[in-house]
Amino acid sequence: MNAHPWHQHYADGIRPEIEPPPERNLAELLRASAREFDEDIAFTQVMPNGMNGSLRYRDVDQLSDDIAVYLREVVGLSVGDRVAVQMPNCLSYPVIAFGILKAGCVVVNTNPMYTPSEMAHQFADSGARALFIIDMFADRLPEVLPKTEIETVVTVSISAFFPRVIAGIITATQRYWQRTLPSITVEHTPLRAALAEGYEARRAGADLDAYLAEVDHDALAALQYTGGTTGVSKGAMLSHGNLVTNTRQTLEMVGSHIRRREETVLTALPLYHIFAFTVNLVGFHVMGGRNILIPSPRPPSNLKRAFENYPITWLTGVNTLFNALLNERWFTEHPPKTLRAAAAGGMALHASVAEEWRAVTDTPIVEGYGLTESSPVLTFNPLGGTIKDATIGIPVPSTEVRCVDEDGAPVPPGQPGELVARGPQIMQGYWQRFDETAETIKDGWLHTGDIAEMDEDGFLRIVDRKKDMVLVSGFNVFPNEVEACLATMPGIQEAAVIGLPDPKTGESVRAYVVADDPAPTEAEVLAHCREHLAAYKVPRSVEFRDDLPKSLIGKVLRKDLRAIITARAAGDDLAEEVA
Amino acid sequence: MGVASTLLLLAVEGPPPDHEVVTDFEQVLLVVLVFIIMFGLGAGLTPRDFASAIRRPQGLIIGWVTQFGIMPFLAFLLVIGLLLPLPEEYAMPVAIGALLMGSVPAGTTSNVFTFFSKGNLALSLMMTTNSTLWALIMTPLALVLYGQRFMPAGSELQIPIENIVVTLVILLVPVVVGMLIRRYNANIGAVLELMGGFFGLFFILFLLVTWVPRNWVLLVITPWQVYAVSILIGMLGISVAYGIGKAIKLHPANARTVALETGIQNGPLAIAIVLLTFSDSPALGMVLLVPALYSLFIVLVATAVTIRFRKANLAEEQKIPSLL
Repeated sequence: MNAHPWHQHYADGIRPEIEPPPERNLAELLRASAREFDEDIAFTQVMPNGMNGSLRYRDVDQLSDDIAVYLREVVGLSVGDRVAVQMPNCLSYPVIAFGILKAGCVVVNTNPMYTPSEMAHQFADSGARALFIIDMFADRLPEVLPKTEIETVVTVSISAFFPRVIAGIITATQRYWQRTLPSITVEHTPLRAALAEGYEARRAGADLDAYLAEVDHDALAALQYTGGTTGVSKGAMLSHGNLVTNTRQTLEMVGSHIRRREETVLTALPLYHIFAFTVNLVGFHVMGGRNILIPSPRPPSNLKRAFENYPITWLTGVNTLFNALLNERWFTEHPPKTLRAAAAGGMALHASVAEEWRAVTDTPIVEGYGLTESSPVLTFNPLGGTIKDATIGIPVPSTEVRCVDEDGAPVPPGQPGELVARGPQIMQGYWQRFDETAETIKDGWLHTGDIAEMDEDGFLRIVDRKKDMVLVSGFNVFPNEVEACLATMPGIQEAAVIGLPDPKTGESVRAYVVADDPAPTEAEVLAHCREHLAAYKVPRSVEFRDDLPKSLIGKVLRKDLRAIITARAAGDDLAEEVA
Repeated sequence: MGVASTLLLLAVEGPPPDHEVVTDFEQVLLVVLVFIIMFGLGAGLTPRDFASAIRRPQGLIIGWVTQFGIMPFLAFLLVIGLLLPLPEEYAMPVAIGALLMGSVPAGTTSNVFTFFSKGNLALSLMMTTNSTLWALIMTPLALVLYGQRFMPAGSELQIPIENIVVTLVILLVPVVVGMLIRRYNANIGAVLELMGGFFGLFFILFLLVTWVPRNWVLLVITPWQVYAVSILIGMLGISVAYGIGKAIKLHPANARTVALETGIQNGPLAIAIVLLTFSDSPALGMVLLVPALYSLFIVLVATAVTIRFRKANLAEEQKIPSLL
């Protein structure tokens, strides 16, 4: 069999293999953009009421230089030191992230919604020495900092770099109306002061090029934390080479669909997420695009002003976001006329959502796939080439993907196997976790833990998470399949399926269902399943629940469900309430 | 002579002749405030909002009927029942103010109360805008239609319809300008929108802290009927519109919205119209009475209604399909 059946399905002009990018590191890539696009607007942050601020390419370049100098000369960090960044999408984010990269330091992206214990774990594990944090959440620091090596805290206002009067109004609203600005009791430097100190040191003659003398493709650029489905959160080590190459691979794949200097991309996904980081932040910056940053995409009406006021041409998002927009009247009645394409990732794009999206916006939507561990893009449906719905597309250039059995041998087309991938975007490993790294990267192949099928053309379809697979009397049951069957039954809003230990069959299928009113009975649900599923896939029992545990982007979390059930079995009722 | 008739006499005679019910300064300030409020209304709008509204005209039609069919009629009934029994030279100017109060469009404060009542904010904004535009025709029409039923022919005091139309046109200018500003500078637009809501409240605060104390003599001698009319216009408007919404089986959130939208009139607009069209008339103070008292009391009425509406069972309501 042809090892690369997908090559024929690339759009015209797409090269199956790309040479290693000439840029030694991300900073070179960013500086080239700043030179070329200079006066163009690079970032615009849009608040729900339409208030906005913008930075040009040259502003971002100079401000991030100031941050780099601040970190190296004032704080005294060296190449490879970790710097944590914890903020929603805002103008400060690119300034700070680019500054850290230009300093030769390592970005540690941190979810601003984290609890103090999650923050402490991530900061301590990464060994971060400095932290840039949004002022709204800085009240968690007294509890967190003593458990970490952080010496320098820089606080950031959500309205930084906005016109002065507008920034004042936003701050006043936050302080006196929403009361979301806590008093910060730990020692800290406001971003403004850090920039001023960096600027002074730069004028005094700092050598920015020297910071990057040793920073080439192998140098670490980011520690991107990921939980996977189990275990503690661990940092995927993404090098400059990983991120520069993945940006190039993704841009090669979309080809002429991202036009130089002409795109306006709506960034509603958080930039601390690797998908938005690589594709929106770096990818569109390389192409001279204008990034519309949305600090909080929920409720979806927060996006209304952005769509009204800017000619959005591109949108990246997860299924939840597209679905939410399709449920907004202002969006469906006036779909953005300027929109050209949308890219979905992060979780499965439902075929029904994709179809409706195309019908409403009259533009293509393509699904891709990747992991934090792969910087993240591994596969995409090729815009301008063959697009297959309900698949994650084909591997991006210079990437090899296979489905393999338990022994690591490739399975025939159409057969499920674990998706493994090899390419220049695969991480260097997990930060200071050699065992987990060895389990995940074997002979250079990243083992994704996802069960997928590859068809004759090389298009991949995700079947399920390997870890969620239920083994009933030796038969594999994929929860996704059972959940999809349940979701088609009238009266069922949503469903989740997990495996529970069973003395007779090893494991048995158990369904958790959120029902409408009136709810179907358990017998009716089981009868529905029996009609559509092989006997061994039919749930042993059904439990009706008020809701299902979900991640921040709306993915149903089976592991949390399993934890709730296990805790309850152990007679620990408290766990359910806490969860 | 009883106390009541003494007070009535006082009311007719009024406070000392040199007392100004509204000073020049207050006039200018109030009109400026109305302009800012209308700017804010416009700054929150886009042409798309109109297109969306036209796609689902039911809400607008219902709002139009309650706003211009029911409100002026309620005001007219209250005038007949409560004000006309008072001496004519007092009743006429006060009645003109009351009828005007019933005939002006919905106010922007209705949007705030709709928000807190868990109503349909988009519908509220659209109804406010819609009724503001229709006011150009409907407000003068209602004034003529009902005014001639109680105004004695040949009376010295007339409703200056032409002036009122001109005033309405002038007050719509900032709405259009607000829309244009928003289009070219979203930041200024958002600030205007915020200021509109803020100054809507400031307007009432201004009445409360300066106008009320300065005119307390006038207010003390004002007969109870005038207070009753000022309070009942809003209260009955909300109740009747809510009843209609329920009767035609609107989604509860929309019924609440229509109710508040109908009962909460644009008090500042009515005051501005009075100030701009009766500025040379000696009756200015009496025409102004109901609009001013309405603007003060509607805050209390709407707050009470909102507290009542907030008890709605939203979980239950979500199962009802909304068509508006």
